[in-house]
Amino acid sequence: MRPRILLVLSTLLILAALFMVFVYVPTDAEQGNIQRIFYFHVSVAWIAFLAFFVTFVAGIAYLAKRNPFWDMVASASAEIGLVFTTLILITGSIWARPMWGVWWTWDARLTSSLVLWLIYLSYFIVRSYITDEERKARFAAVVGIIGFVDVPIVALAIQFSRTQHPSALIFEGGLAGSMLVTLLVSIAAFTALYLLFLAVRVHLKEDESELNSLKEAMRE
Amino acid sequence: MNSNNLGYLFAAYSIIWLVVLGYVFTLIRREKALRKEIAALKEGMKKA
Amino acid sequence: MKFWSRVAAIAWKDVVSELRTREIIFSVLVFAVLVLVIFNFAFDLAPDQMLQIVPGILWVAFAFSGVLALNRAFIPEKEENCLEGLMGCPVGREAIYVGKALGSLFFMVLVEAVILPVFALLFNIAVLQLEVIVVTLLATIGFVAVGTIFSALAVNTRAREMVLPILFLPIITPVIISAVKASSLVLVGSGWGGLTSWLSILAAFDVIFLVVPFLVFPYVIEE
Repeated sequence: MRPRILLVLSTLLILAALFMVFVYVPTDAEQGNIQRIFYFHVSVAWIAFLAFFVTFVAGIAYLAKRNPFWDMVASASAEIGLVFTTLILITGSIWARPMWGVWWTWDARLTSSLVLWLIYLSYFIVRSYITDEERKARFAAVVGIIGFVDVPIVALAIQFSRTQHPSALIFEGGLAGSMLVTLLVSIAAFTALYLLFLAVRVHLKEDESELNSLKEAMRE
Repeated sequence: MNSNNLGYLFAAYSIIWLVVLGYVFTLIRREKALRKEIAALKEGMKKA
Repeated sequence: MKFWSRVAAIAWKDVVSELRTREIIFSVLVFAVLVLVIFNFAFDLAPDQMLQIVPGILWVAFAFSGVLALNRAFIPEKEENCLEGLMGCPVGREAIYVGKALGSLFFMVLVEAVILPVFALLFNIAVLQLEVIVVTLLATIGFVAVGTIFSALAVNTRAREMVLPILFLPIITPVIISAVKASSLVLVGSGWGGLTSWLSILAAFDVIFLVVPFLVFPYVIEE
């Protein structure tokens, strides 16, 4: 089925990405080998952003259609996004240590990622404090919508107040061709992985829902 | 300098893959447990 | 015009009922002053060093007092089940949002109007400048715009008002950052020119977070 195709695709892309990151792409002149973290660090960040965008859209879809499927997509995507955001923080920290000598620095990107992490953590905290499924879905959609709209402003405000992190290399055009291709392959690999996780996670939620309906039916 | 940093590079990539695989395994485990529970319930309903 | 008369009625009701009992406003003011005093003990700095942390102290005091003020927007309604009555009319729900936000705005501005002079007195720093006041007002608007909708949401969860800070403090970080940075700039002598970027961020935040919660609020109080 579709998850199987995604699994094969992800595996191939990940292998390709790993090869390109460790064998194909040249070592960075300035930072040395540690710079290779960049490819997966940035990919993970893009995917987290994509995941929260999906939560945003699915939240709107839920409020419009009231189909529980959309809430499943929203919360599954938010969960994956939270995992990936945690990875941003961890890889960013590991990158920071040899670069700047500290495990954490309050620079623009790391701080924004931390705030992002807190916003989506609160998404799950709200869900955990509500038992009624309908209200849970509705409130989560509201939090997901407001949270996502906030993300650009948070990034902007924090960026204005700090300047330590290397600014977006991609947009400055300072990336050599081979680096750009490697980055794109990494992003593609993680996108496939995200879609796979999403499909599996939603499937799992559908099973949970089926289980609950069965339990309900048994009580009668 | 390069060889020192390779340690960090390895750590970063290992953690990414451990987290990703760990997540995959928790999903698989939950899926299996759910399937078992659903099957058991369906059996119970047939008998009733 | 019916919309605005409902908004005014809701805001007025909140203000009057609070001014009569003075329950919350008094505790919030005392709390804010206590925050200032505690900071004085926590950071024992020379006057010139104080300038660096002054806006931060102010906004910690405002933020935490603000959370207390926002909570009172919906807790009494929940307890007395007043919301159903308000929700009857077609423009009911959005008017509730704006009315409650205005009520909270009034409270926060009241607290700020007391705390700013007290601060100037206790710390001997000229915070009562027009630029600071404008920045504070813009920031407070953003604060209550987001806080009101999340307050309505929080009150309907199991943990009730405890959820509010967790939920909305990360969201309003741009407001806090801009207010603190802009205020610091003013205190070291920058004129309006140096504040443009921060004022733009605050203005953008206010616009976005008045519009989006306005649209989404009815979904929160549906039942």
